[in-house]
Amino acid sequence: MWRRNQGLLLTRQSLVLVLSLTASLSAARTSAQALKLSLEAYPAEIRADLARPYENVRAHPDDANAVGSLGRVLQAWEQWETAHQAYTRAISLAPTSFDWHYLDACVLERLARPQDAVAHLRSALKIRPDYIAARVRLADALLSAGQLEESRTLFTALAGEPQAEPLGRFGLGRILAAEGKHEEAVQAIQQALALFPEWGAAHYSLALSLRALGRRDEAQQALQRQVQYGTRWPGVPDPVLSSVSDLRNDSAARFRKARSLADQGDLNGAIAEFESVLADDKSSALAHSSLVKLYGRTGNWLKAEEHYRAAVALGSGLAELHYDYGVMLGLQQKWDEAQEAYRRAIAINPVYPEAHNNLGQILERNRQFEPALAEYRSAVLDRPTFRLARLNVGRMLIGLGRLDEAITELQKITQPRDAEAPRYLFALSTAYVRAGRKDEGVRWATDARQLALQYGDAALAAAIERDLALIR
Amino acid sequence: MRLLALFFLFLWLPPLGGSTPQLPPKGGSHGVFVESAAAAGLNFTHITGATGQYYVAEEMGAGVALFDYDNDGDLDVFLVQGGPLNDKSPADTPGYPTSRLFRNDLTRGPDGKPRLHFTDVTSQAGVALRAYGMGAAIGDYDNDGDLDLLVTSFGPETLFRNNGNGTFTDVTKEAGVSDPLWSTSATFFDYDRDGDLDLFVANYLDFTIAGNKKCTDTAGAPDYCGPRNYRPVPDRLYRNDGNGHFTDVTESSGISRADGAGLGVVAGDYNNDGWLDLYVANDATPNQLWINRKDGTFVDEGPLSGSALNAAGNPEGSMGIASGDFDADGDEDLFVTNIIGETFVLYKNDGAGNFEDSRVQTGLGPLTTTVTGFGTDWFDYDNDGWLDLFVANGAVNAIESQRGQPNPFKMKNQLFHNTGSGRFVDASSSGGPAFEQAEISRGAAFGDIDNDGDTDIVVTTNGGPVRLLMNQGTPGNHWIDVALQDSPRNRFGFGARIGIERTGKPTLWRRVHTDGSYLSASDVRAHAGLGSSTSIDGIVVQWVDGMRERWTKVDADRLVTLKRGTGVKQ
Repeated sequence: MWRRNQGLLLTRQSLVLVLSLTASLSAARTSAQALKLSLEAYPAEIRADLARPYENVRAHPDDANAVGSLGRVLQAWEQWETAHQAYTRAISLAPTSFDWHYLDACVLERLARPQDAVAHLRSALKIRPDYIAARVRLADALLSAGQLEESRTLFTALAGEPQAEPLGRFGLGRILAAEGKHEEAVQAIQQALALFPEWGAAHYSLALSLRALGRRDEAQQALQRQVQYGTRWPGVPDPVLSSVSDLRNDSAARFRKARSLADQGDLNGAIAEFESVLADDKSSALAHSSLVKLYGRTGNWLKAEEHYRAAVALGSGLAELHYDYGVMLGLQQKWDEAQEAYRRAIAINPVYPEAHNNLGQILERNRQFEPALAEYRSAVLDRPTFRLARLNVGRMLIGLGRLDEAITELQKITQPRDAEAPRYLFALSTAYVRAGRKDEGVRWATDARQLALQYGDAALAAAIERDLALIR
Repeated sequence: MRLLALFFLFLWLPPLGGSTPQLPPKGGSHGVFVESAAAAGLNFTHITGATGQYYVAEEMGAGVALFDYDNDGDLDVFLVQGGPLNDKSPADTPGYPTSRLFRNDLTRGPDGKPRLHFTDVTSQAGVALRAYGMGAAIGDYDNDGDLDLLVTSFGPETLFRNNGNGTFTDVTKEAGVSDPLWSTSATFFDYDRDGDLDLFVANYLDFTIAGNKKCTDTAGAPDYCGPRNYRPVPDRLYRNDGNGHFTDVTESSGISRADGAGLGVVAGDYNNDGWLDLYVANDATPNQLWINRKDGTFVDEGPLSGSALNAAGNPEGSMGIASGDFDADGDEDLFVTNIIGETFVLYKNDGAGNFEDSRVQTGLGPLTTTVTGFGTDWFDYDNDGWLDLFVANGAVNAIESQRGQPNPFKMKNQLFHNTGSGRFVDASSSGGPAFEQAEISRGAAFGDIDNDGDTDIVVTTNGGPVRLLMNQGTPGNHWIDVALQDSPRNRFGFGARIGIERTGKPTLWRRVHTDGSYLSASDVRAHAGLGSSTSIDGIVVQWVDGMRERWTKVDADRLVTLKRGTGVKQ
């Protein structure tokens, strides 16, 4: 019985092997026929990057490295469909290569095909079971595809690895939430957040589970943290994927790198990148425009001015260009010129709350209070959630003696009670006091002081305390 | 033989979730829908005005309204037009193309079958609007028994009052409902339950011609900028004062407390407290669920409700909305269309206004990975009693595989059949040849255009011809259409809920509405498929002010008009 079963087993295994090889070869033939690029349809920069690898593939169509390398360039340029075709071919030629399976999985994720990504991640991990980034992606893809049990097994293992523990714990939390086990989900997500507190997505998941448990106030607080931290996400080393990103050195890639450097606070690095773009293409108005802001932030007024003039000469219609120039001029206290710059920004984009607000501040400096008030009101009309502009409306109204109006405006910015709120509450208190409503003024000033202390603004709290003493 | 058996054994792979649900039978060899625009005289081609500058406004329009403007019992069609985009005002530009109104001249042939024909009555109706139009909203804002029309645009809105005699008057100024922001979708709804229809207008981005930014696709070729390159502008809520004028209550209502790049809007009661709420689909910014606090104000519960973001806490494209009870559990669920790679989302309501992202469980996620969707709605295309979905698809950025072709944004529309067990299957192949055509579809309006008991669809194409998808019907399945009459306020019963009660089956709940979808307005009559049974135990209507009435002895396969006060109070 055993021997007959063994024979049956061998037959089954052989059949599977034959079938899978047949399928692979069939797919390979199909994808080889399909792997045609119309290079002439691509813009110059990508065409230049694709030309050599594509020639290489045409010369060596059965060379897995050649085909895979073309896939990497296509992936670097976010040409997902053709990258997938190239990797499919490379896999058929070299089915035991980790890189092609893994990179194809990454591409399939971008094509929102988690089931297909799962298949390639499994293959990749058979070759390199220790590659953490692949394990994380597989666990995530299984979760996205609704295969919770297998995803749970993977996340549990990841939670035991120092590099991946936050991701493992968060994954387990998401699975528990999907199963409706929100108490346990909250615990798991909080464990993840203890390891990586600035994780917007985790705070969001936490919020939903807290809401499901009826803990709405805590859920709201978690949502605020989600907004605060945005898309920050704990990474794991991924040298295979990183090597793909490094393939590009075109202007768009350098733009992205420059913006990333600027976001991280490396202004000089960002400047260097934008200057390198201009070294290749002096007509990039966007690079000139970006440098106005960056040089302005570093205090290099001359260079900022130079790039502003260059952008204008190129016919740049960016409202932000004139706005940033206005800010730079303001920092140099060149108020008249700054005013003109803001007006140019508004002429291009009339719905520009920051430009209206800043213009209002210059007009206020010039003691043109009614025009300043009009600009502040425009800023608020363009963006009713612009609390600073509404504070300025309130201040102007207080200065003009229109206290009831000031109170009405300032009442609208007392919520949320965040770190900005103390000065809004203080302004409201001032309006009440000036309107002769001292008790209400004292109450709001007291609230403002407490809130300032809560958020660690001792200086503001002290100033409010001094005013309270005067009022009393 | 054994090897052959094994061969088939290993080749069989059951799909995720179990056995393969069955698709409904095709409606004849031509499919369930037959594209009939030209044959019916609905001749209209949208003009984007594109000149190679890639102004983002070019790719967003336009919408369509299906409404019986002349109260003759059949649905007429209003198609929103674009035109050249420059710094000149369209209204002051001679020869600028106009939006069009087509009157439905429906007749019956000697064989009793409907004969459909449309006549362009734009000029005589007085709606030859010169504007870079975006969308249309329908509602009887002045409670005089005929439906009025609001047209949104890249620029100020226009409100046309229906004069009741086949003509309209532009009353924008006197109504006070216009501002210069780029408006998109809008809805007439009675948020304060005072018997007249208020107005919410979604506004989009701060894009201007002068401030146009240059963007590229991933390969570096010129392409349209995404919404993140501009900033959202605030929406507007106008309270109807009951005298032909609206008051802007955006600030006092709390609507101004959240920003978003508004593209879609629908009114519904999402927390089942009897008051109409609003759901706004915002492009690449969190969607908003404005819960009505019953005191004239709203609070945005979007993020907390789970209906604002995806599972990773990120906003999605979010263009079109379908609001309806897809699982017949008595509450309104939300289906939102997104951009390619994001998949479309079905937010399942738990009845209390908490939503669960169910795109995976329902099967809709995997079916929508390769498309960018716009106009959509719940509708029972085969009258089996379960709400299905249609989506008008079309890209907003160049599609990789269409590189080098003119207009590389074309996609096929989709039809999803509700299996009745919480899942959907792709029924596009049953839809007919129209579903094989890849175009740049945008708006979609739903209604029974030939009054034959099934729901038809008008689909707009960005820069192309309108499509009229006539439903060929599903023999053997029955239906009921319900129109409401109230007087003297909210004459069409906007916002009321209609429950079709059936023995041994869940009540089919429908809301009287014209909003949702994308930039479009649908038939105000409520439709419900009944499946193979003609039995209706009763129809319950919950009016917007909370009053509830029930009617019995209602026959299937007809339009019934229920007048307030003629039912039994509940």
